[in-house]
Amino acid sequence: MEEYQTGDEVAFVVDEVNSIIKESVEGAIGGSTYQHSRVNQWTNSIVEQCLGQLSKLDKPFKYIVTCIIMQKNGAGLQTASSCFWDNATDGNLTNSVADVMKTYNFALFSCLKM
Amino acid sequence: MASTETNASCYLIRPNYQHKFKSSLVKECIREILREHLTGLQYEPEQIPALSRTLADCIKDRLKGDRYKLVVQVVIGEQRGEGLKMAARCFWDSDTDSYARTFHECVLCGGSVWLLLLLKKSGSHRSCTAG
Repeated sequence: MEEYQTGDEVAFVVDEVNSIIKESVEGAIGGSTYQHSRVNQWTNSIVEQCLGQLSKLDKPFKYIVTCIIMQKNGAGLQTASSCFWDNATDGNLTNSVADVMKTYNFALFSCLKM
Repeated sequence: MASTETNASCYLIRPNYQHKFKSSLVKECIREILREHLTGLQYEPEQIPALSRTLADCIKDRLKGDRYKLVVQVVIGEQRGEGLKMAARCFWDSDTDSYARTFHECVLCGGSVWLLLLLKKSGSHRSCTAG
């Protein structure tokens, strides 16, 4: 009976995922200014694109992707997360990008499907 | 031939309906925790990082259980009239996994909990913050 393989093909590759996130953001928003009427569409498009690309990687992981877009007007924003999972197999990635008009904050959580 | 008794719980890969995740109860629990910690609070930039970590840990400790992995996310923002939008998507087993989310007005705080069914018993804790 074949043993379940846990090795490189199952590992979470941070660079690969980072580039997926970057491409999703640039694809959805590019250099646009903050527009309240479009921010709904932007956030949905970013998370859907991200998740689509992640599922194509075909790794045995469950994913949770969140994205926050905030207009820059001097207000503060803090995010925190706390997870009850298996540190050996599960992980998260957070990324924060700011430009003149807006700040994007991403969090990606991945849990090994077992 | 001797019959072998099987322990039924070893073969459960789907929770019974009684043990299934109840979103409304979890939502109420998170709302209560946020209300306890945030009523009457002003946004202080030095205190908010520690507070957000505390809230996330508190929610996780209240909700952690036997069969589920748990991801808790807390977002605290200052109310200055800025536009803000948060979106989330999940790639999971919709039969077994679910989420609850709530929002507290005064300091603009949102708490979200995602629960993923765990088939193995091991679990360990990890907290992180992002400003």
